[in-house]
Formats: sequence, C-alpha cells, structure tokens
Amino acid sequence: MGDRRRRMNNLYLAAVINTTFRYTTPVLFAALGSLACTKCAVFNVALEGQMLAASFVAIVANYYTHNAFISLLAGVAAGAFVAWIVAVFQIKWKVRDMVVGTAMNLLVQSVTAFLMQAIFGSRGTVQGFGMVPLTKINLSFLKFSPFLYRMFEDLSTIDYLGYIVAVLIFIYFYKTVSGFHLLSVGINADAADSLGIKSQRIQIWAMVFSGILCGFGGVVHAMGNVTVFAENMTSGRGFIAMGAASMAQSHPLGAIASSLFFGTALSLSKTLQGYINSYFTEAIPYLCTVLAITIYGVVISTQRRKATIKM
Amino acid sequence: MDELKKKRLFDSAASPLIAILAALAVGAIVMLLTGTNPLYAYKEMFTKSFFKPYYLAETLVRSAPIMLSGVAAATAWRAGYINLGMQGQMCVGGLVAAVMAIYLPVHSLWGTALCILGGMAAATLIALIPTYLDYKFNASLIITTLMLNYAINHITNYFVAYPMRDTAGDGMAQQSVQIEQSLRFFRFSNKNAMNTSVFIAILVVILMYFVFTKTKFGYESKITGLNKNFANYGGIKSMKTMFQTMALSGALSGFAACIEIFGVRYRYVNSMFSSTGYAWTGLMAMLIAGYNPLLTLVYSIFLAGLNIGGTALQRTVGVPMQIADIIQCCITLFISVNFLYEFNKKRSGKCRKKVGKRWETGGVA
Repeated sequence: MGDRRRRMNNLYLAAVINTTFRYTTPVLFAALGSLACTKCAVFNVALEGQMLAASFVAIVANYYTHNAFISLLAGVAAGAFVAWIVAVFQIKWKVRDMVVGTAMNLLVQSVTAFLMQAIFGSRGTVQGFGMVPLTKINLSFLKFSPFLYRMFEDLSTIDYLGYIVAVLIFIYFYKTVSGFHLLSVGINADAADSLGIKSQRIQIWAMVFSGILCGFGGVVHAMGNVTVFAENMTSGRGFIAMGAASMAQSHPLGAIASSLFFGTALSLSKTLQGYINSYFTEAIPYLCTVLAITIYGVVISTQRRKATIKM
Repeated sequence: MDELKKKRLFDSAASPLIAILAALAVGAIVMLLTGTNPLYAYKEMFTKSFFKPYYLAETLVRSAPIMLSGVAAATAWRAGYINLGMQGQMCVGGLVAAVMAIYLPVHSLWGTALCILGGMAAATLIALIPTYLDYKFNASLIITTLMLNYAINHITNYFVAYPMRDTAGDGMAQQSVQIEQSLRFFRFSNKNAMNTSVFIAILVVILMYFVFTKTKFGYESKITGLNKNFANYGGIKSMKTMFQTMALSGALSGFAACIEIFGVRYRYVNSMFSSTGYAWTGLMAMLIAGYNPLLTLVYSIFLAGLNIGGTALQRTVGVPMQIADIIQCCITLFISVNFLYEFNKKRSGKCRKKVGKRWETGGVA
C-alpha cells in the first residue's frame, strides 16, 4: 500500500516536472531573443508583443489550414514581422526603446483582440474548431521507467529545440567570426563601425532574430499543450523572459537555468491551485520574478564588493 | 530668430496632427478590411464621444483617471525612472480606499478626503517597493513594476471574490458592496455621469504642471532625467529624486483610482483597473504629450473620447471596440518618430550629396 502511494507521489512529481518543461519553453525562447538583442546593445521591450502576435497568427493559420507546421511558420513569421517594425522604429529612427516597446506591446494586444472578434466572432478565448496541436514526441526507449517516461511525455519537438537553440547561440556568439562582430557592436558600436562592421544592420538583424525566437515561444505557448488563444494570453511572459535573460547575465547557457527556474514558478502556480486559493497562486510567478531579480542583484553587488576588496 | 520660432511652432503643432491623421488612416484601413465604411464609423465614433452631451459627459468622466495616471507616469518617466506599475498602484489605492469607505465609520466630505488619502498612501507604498529594490539591489524598475501589476491584480481580485464580496442580489458579480451615499462625489444630474471628480482631476493636473515647471523638485527631476551624471555633479541627490518622483507617481496613481471609485463605480469591482486599461491609456497620452501635463490633459480627453466612441461603435456598427486602442497606439508610434524631422533630414541629406559633402556618418545619427 505504502509502496503504491509512493509510486503515485513519484508520478505526480514527474507530472509536475513535465509541466515545468512545458512552461519553460516559451520563457526560454523569449529569454534567448532578449539576450541576442542585449548582446548588441539593443534593449528589446517588445518581446511580449512579438510572442502574442506569433500565438495569434499561429492559431489563425491553424484555424484555416489545420496544419501544425504551417501554423508554426506563420507564427514565427508574425513574430519576426513585429520585431522588424520595432527594429525600424528603434534602431533606424532612433525612437526611445521604452516608447516603441510599450506602444508595440499594447498595439499587438489590441490588434489581436480586434482580429479575434473579427475572425472568430468571440471575445475571451478561441478553442476547438478542429485545430491541431504541435506534433508530440514520446520517447519509447524510456518505457522501462514510468517516472522518466511521464517526465518527458507528450513534449513537442519545439520543447527540445529550445535547448538546442540555446547551445547553438552559445556557439555562434563565442566561436564564430560573425558572432564576434555582433558582440563587438554590443561593446562599442562606434568602434565596430570604424572597423567596417555595419552595426545598424547587425542590430536590426538581431532584433528580427529575437522576433523569430519569440515566435517559436509564442507558438509553443498557444499550441504546445491545449491549442487555444486567449486575449493577452502571454500575460507578462515577455517581461519574465527579460528577467530570465538579465539573471543569466545574457549568457545563452545561463538562460537555460534561469528559464527553468521561471518555468518551475509558472508550473507551481498551476499545481498549487489544489492547495492554495488560485488568486494567490496566479501571483506566484510574478512575485518570483521580482524576488529572483532582487536576489540576483544582491549576489552581483556582493561579488563586486569582494572584487574591489581584493584589488 | 523669429523665423526659427515660427518654424518650431509649426512643427510642434503639425507633427501631432500628422500622427493623428495617419493613425486614423490606419484605423480606416483596418475597418475597410473588416468590411465597414470607415467614414460612417468615424462619424458615429466622434458624434458619440464629443458632440452629444450625454457622451461628452461620459468622455470627460472617463478621461479623469486617464489624465491622472498619465501625469503619474510622466512624473516618473521625465526623471528617467520607468514606472510601468501605475495599474497595480491604482488597484491597491482603489482597494484600500474602498475598504476604508466601506468599513470605517466615515461620512461626508472629510470622510471622502480621508479615504482618498489612505488610498494614495497605500499606492505610494506599493510604488516605493520596486523603487527600493532598484536603489538597493539594482533590480530593474521596468521589470519589477510591471510584474507587480499582474501579482497585485490577482491578489486584489481575491478580496472582492471572497471576503468583501457583495452577496446581495444574485451575488454572481465579483464586487464589493457600494459605498455610502454621502461619500460619493457630487453628481450634477441623474441623466449623465458628470460629477465633480473631473474638475478635481483637471485641477490636480494643472497643479502638476506648476510643480513640473516652477518648483525646485520639478527642475531637479527633469535634470535627473536628462542626464543623471550632470545632476549628480550639480549636487542633486539622485536617491532623493528617485524616491520623491516614484512616491509622487504612486500617489497620483492612487488618486486616479479613488477618482474612479468615488466618482463613477462607487465600489471595487473585479479587475476594474486592469480590464479598462486606464493606466496604459494614460501612459500613451503622456507619451504623445511628451511629458507635458497640460498636453496630457488634452490628449487624455481625446483618447478617452476614442474609447467611448469605440464602445459606441461596437454597440451600433459591430466593429470591435479595440479599434480605439489600435488608433491610440498608432498615434504614439507615429508621433515618436517625428516624421517631419526624418523627412527634412532625408531632403537635406540629398542636397548635401549633390554638393559632394558626406552627410551620413556611419550609423550614428
């Protein structure tokens, strides 16, 4: 009896970890997008809008085509498009990042809500209509252990892709020439310009790249688990991702760790609903973000203090 | 000199106009795509926001919390401290004021004043938490203020869903009981929503204009926003300015919430500040106005009118009311670019190329 209960608890834990992976992916993608911009001295505030646009366009494409792959492409393109607009405003026309970012986030929020009513004729949420989710992968070689099997059950390809992309970005930044060019723009754009690197073009491309990544994040968010779109469904995930990126000190591999932390916070907010009032659990991820970047600030400042004492 | 002044005046008047017209054009295209006649829709929208007494009253009442939260945002932003948490501060301020009004034995004018002060104090405290975290631990103000919005919204909704819930009637709506009659702002007639709160809001905004332009605090916060190092060099304590501006910003947000509660709703309703988006509309108004309180007032009334017209449009024509938000965001984006400047630069750049001088210096503008 006791043994069986322990196994049940184990499986429950595995399910929680599984949820954590699901919630991590969008944050991870957006965090990678954020740090790609930060690395070349662009502050991207519109992550939220890029994700939301991708989610919505993916759902619309899904509604018309019933094809997960086409929806994915459409969503990613939408994210990139929003990012391109932001890039033109912010980098080419030198508009303040906060102004473009907040205006763009709100614009995407209202455009998606508008189109949702125009296309689906409904307010609030869009669900059903025979829309297909992303292709799920089940690792059959893990069948020997129910725990591991449950842990990785029904994750989509994109969930795994997130970690691969993080490693690829790491390689790109630190092992390739063009990655070095990008980093040099971040360190000093004028100096990079004087050496013939087109800093503005690199910044715009980094922004579009972040849009592509946020696009993946948005599509996973809308189609990874249940295929659904809700008004303003990203609810601050872009900003959580910004927190994740700054905690990782804009290092792609560090972003994996920090995103997993926020993924845990997000999944806890869902799993704890059975025990604590849901109004409070919903607040958990946001309070965790505030707490995490505060603790991060404390750690960094003590490190700096130690470094100065040594000097 | 005179010529220059004239040109500057023309630019400052022309660029908002161009931006507004361009944004309305974008809105028209969107409406055409959904199969609505934009001319008819705009006529409907503007008559049902500015040109009929009932709707004009609605617009003005709606504009009061918007202009206050806009000025609240301007207070912090012009000093370089990005406060995105007006919404959360409004939630807390509104909730605390409503709780005081419902549970404390307060009556009439002084009671209202006390409740509003309580709400403002609570909002100020909430605004100071991220400020302290930023000052002490370098936690980005942008992220913390925005994250607190979501957290606070959920937590305040808890109170009206459980302990404070109004169980009278069918008890389905998640809202508190109404506040007492004597605490409410004076309403001029039963026909429309017009009440004294609008005038109080306008007075506060004008007061803030003088605070911004005529006081030491206003000067110091402006200089801090322009160049923090210069401000430090000039002997302005950046810590003091930071806490002062954020506290004032929070207090104004709290006041905006109280205006809405004591002037219009008379109770705290589930998500009353997050679903209406007052804080964001106010932010847009203040960005269009370039931190100027008086212009913020004007644009707040305009944007409130768009919103009211948008809701009317949804009722009568069936165009989703988010069209108002779309137009509003487009105005902000277009005005931020200053197309006149870009256009002039491009033209003079061409001229200079003809002469044979290099105008472009790499990517640096």
